[in-house]
Amino acid sequence: MDRWQYLLILVGCILITLPLEAFGRGVYRQPRRLLRALTPVLLVFLVWDAVAIALDVWHYNPRFVSGIEMPFMPLEELLFFIVIPLCGLLTYSAVSSVLGILGRSRATMAARSRR
Amino acid sequence: MIGLGYTLPAIISVVGVCVLEWSVLRTGLFRTRAYWISMVIVFGFQVLVDGWLTKLSAPIVIYNEAHTSGLRFPWDIPVEDFLFGWALVTAVLLLWVRQRPDQKESR
Repeated sequence: MDRWQYLLILVGCILITLPLEAFGRGVYRQPRRLLRALTPVLLVFLVWDAVAIALDVWHYNPRFVSGIEMPFMPLEELLFFIVIPLCGLLTYSAVSSVLGILGRSRATMAARSRR
Repeated sequence: MIGLGYTLPAIISVVGVCVLEWSVLRTGLFRTRAYWISMVIVFGFQVLVDGWLTKLSAPIVIYNEAHTSGLRFPWDIPVEDFLFGWALVTAVLLLWVRQRPDQKESR
């Protein structure tokens, strides 16, 4: 089981943040916007990661990774750079949506009390 | 402990993201409450996830201490990870805010 640890952590991140998709316009429901925001950053960080691995700045414990290798890095590391930004986007999308709802209800109450 | 391999690039990434926002994208994201509240939430979850990935008793990611500052907090998380994570998430948020929402969404 140990070798699935890193992958399971990433799956956990996806599952925990999934309900946030319900807020506002969501993130997964805007696939083109998601790709345009994610891809350039993904490329920069993958290069950084590949260089860091090549120069032995960090490496991965073979005990806790699946053993599926992508060019330059384990599969999990590639997924990390997709999963973590997704979690951040879903959080931001949900927070913006909640603040918007709160703002609108406050405005409605203010309008009512003025009457 | 000279930190050239990780500490320096981590600092550069943060500066780079700030320069990107202030001189190119100009989204105004840093002046919004939604962004900073999100960052607090992301930080909380990063401590949990990163804490697990970097715990010295059974680390998933192993750092070459020659390339880090050696400062680990909280738990065994190299402090550089917080700069790295901030730059990663903020860069994507900046580009996201910069894009228009996808059309055809029912409101």
